[in-house]
Amino acid sequence: MSTSTLAAPTVTEQRRARRSPGGGPTLGRPGFAWALPATLFFGLFALAPLVLVVVLSFTSWAGLGSPEFVGLDNWQRLARDPVMINSLWLSVLLTALGVLVQTPLSLLIGVWAAGTQRNRAVLSAIFFLPLLLSATAVSVLWRALLDPNFGVPGQAPWLFGDGNLFGSRTGAIAVLVFVGSWQFIPFHALIYQGAARAVPAVLYQAAEVDGAGRWGQFRHVTLPQLRNAMITSVVLMVVGGLTTFDTVLILTQGGPGTDTTITAYYMYEQAFRSFDFGAGAAIALLLVVVATVISLIVVRVSGYDRMRSTMEGL
Amino acid sequence: MTVRTRLARVVALGAALALALPLTACGDGDPAAGQDEIHILVYGDATNKVEKQLVDTFNKTSKVKAVLDTIPGADYQTKLQTIINTRQAPDVFFNWGGGSITPFVKADLLLPLDDMIAKDPGLKENFLPSVFNTAMVDGKAYGVPMRGTQPVLLFHNKKVLADAGITAPKTWDDLLAAVKTLKGRGITPIALGGGDQWPTQMWYQYLYDRVAGPELFAKALGGDKSAWESPESRRALELLRQLTDAGAFGTNFDSVKFTDGGSPTLLSSGKAGFELMGSWNYSTHHDANPSFAADGLGWSAFPSVPGGKGDPRNVVGNTNNFYSVLKKTRHPEAVAEFLKLQYSDEFVQAQLSIGNLPTTTNTEKFLDGATNPDYLKYQFTLVKEAPSFQLSWDQAYPPAATTTIHQAVQQYCNGRLDAAGFIKAMQSLQAG
Repeated sequence: MSTSTLAAPTVTEQRRARRSPGGGPTLGRPGFAWALPATLFFGLFALAPLVLVVVLSFTSWAGLGSPEFVGLDNWQRLARDPVMINSLWLSVLLTALGVLVQTPLSLLIGVWAAGTQRNRAVLSAIFFLPLLLSATAVSVLWRALLDPNFGVPGQAPWLFGDGNLFGSRTGAIAVLVFVGSWQFIPFHALIYQGAARAVPAVLYQAAEVDGAGRWGQFRHVTLPQLRNAMITSVVLMVVGGLTTFDTVLILTQGGPGTDTTITAYYMYEQAFRSFDFGAGAAIALLLVVVATVISLIVVRVSGYDRMRSTMEGL
Repeated sequence: MTVRTRLARVVALGAALALALPLTACGDGDPAAGQDEIHILVYGDATNKVEKQLVDTFNKTSKVKAVLDTIPGADYQTKLQTIINTRQAPDVFFNWGGGSITPFVKADLLLPLDDMIAKDPGLKENFLPSVFNTAMVDGKAYGVPMRGTQPVLLFHNKKVLADAGITAPKTWDDLLAAVKTLKGRGITPIALGGGDQWPTQMWYQYLYDRVAGPELFAKALGGDKSAWESPESRRALELLRQLTDAGAFGTNFDSVKFTDGGSPTLLSSGKAGFELMGSWNYSTHHDANPSFAADGLGWSAFPSVPGGKGDPRNVVGNTNNFYSVLKKTRHPEAVAEFLKLQYSDEFVQAQLSIGNLPTTTNTEKFLDGATNPDYLKYQFTLVKEAPSFQLSWDQAYPPAATTTIHQAVQQYCNGRLDAAGFIKAMQSLQAG
């Protein structure tokens, strides 16, 4: 049964492709049946919960008994909640800092790793190690390494002062940006490495003939060729940054005080620490809206939606 | 059931799942299957050994069989909250008394134990009263102590104190003097795991109790928010400020944690002189550094404060853990029999053998046979003679209040909040 439905579009597709008049075969689009499993999955695990979260955000529920409908109560409370408003700014701040720190570093590492230097493979393998570790393990590790008395700060007071990294707002934010970067730069470097490998060698040969040095080649050939990779990487960073959760949970628990309570963590805190699922759902929804708006802006500004090929004229 | 409430439940459950899915991957079987079973749900940790043993003892004689279910540590309260009103709910469950069960009592889910106690007065009389009272809500008993007590003590490093020529402080002025001396010697006077927040809270609990007695907090917990702005409350905050201003905790205490071994190592390595901590601190040191636990670790009661109304014999901490019973259990008689085991000699000996200090009246006669009798006897006498045993604030209030309390105690201690800010934060709490 399933085989026949799955096989059907292929046949049609081939026929259509063969029958297409003129030039080469036009690309046939697969039928809806192909998208069915993914659509079902998406509907069940993404859309349905989203709808339920919308409903829940208008109720008061502590996990006991039935949720009580309270209208706009949760929303009004959140609008007046200084922690909520601050958490949105913090999420944006952490995301922006993440993009600013990670992009240049992963770009350089990625381009370097795409080359053919000696020891490149060995060093790359070491660079990519953090990628293999879970965010939880990474956070636990850095929490221990940054202990003010027995970790790195205790050994380097000239750099860290009294080592109160987790006790001050600036320190805690810096730690989160640093650990996030340490963990995710390898991933983005991998994207850049792949893209840099795909740059046709003829472009460099042409640049060399035109008298471009190493910097000139990087500036005028590599960078423009990596445009699409960069957009991909930044969109991933933005979405990942806005939904960061595990590093905050383990490294700072939103502290000191509420100084690193970003929106995703605040949602968890309201729902699963304070058992206020209504407020938690409202925050979750707000996060969805904010992340969607920001992603749309990035897509618009970067021209991702009409992404042009970097291979024109080759 | 009307269609509307059913719909509401389905929606709620679905949403809870949606929220919970990425966070917890919990998969238990269906414990509600057997007719002649009672399910005992406990916090999963090393003490489960004892609980297992008691369940086995119970099953030898009982027709209704007990089944022990465990939920690993950190997820316990969350998981309990999500199943307690469903068919997966246990018959008997572990809790911390106080605020951890108040929401369930208010939702009419728990069985008052007064009838069981009327049939077997031993279910109340065989426990130390200051402990048993923690699981009373609105004058009714809802829990029976089932593990060990964990009072908070002022621990010290014997060698550090001896080298500095000081003794364990009896009064607040002694403590301030000790802080000054230790600071002068380049040692952090008091180790504080501020990153965990609850160790900071211990200082407030003791100071409020010593300054005002247990009544102030009881009043606040009962909903009288003026308690927080009373002169006693301000006085307690002032004393704490004296301590932080004297540099008692150093400057980086908010980056230090107890849970990752940070503050205990400060104490055991001699980089700090004191640490205010729960009685589990002994086993923490015993695991990490047995010779320090045996010879280097000293302890004393929290000092008295000048002009304080609170009895200096009062203690604060985790009184004990409790077994509470769900109203809808099918076998209340079997449950009552099971609860009786919690004051048996077998229970006491099994708890002592793994280092817990039970709070039954028959505990005392077994203390000599324990591995560290001095430490256990000191604690037992302390708890037995305490006119009041204040349950930790974050457990006295319902779980919803924990985050607010923790943030407020941290922010006043590190100077981000002033007294007025702290008072305002505590007044925002919903009554327990």
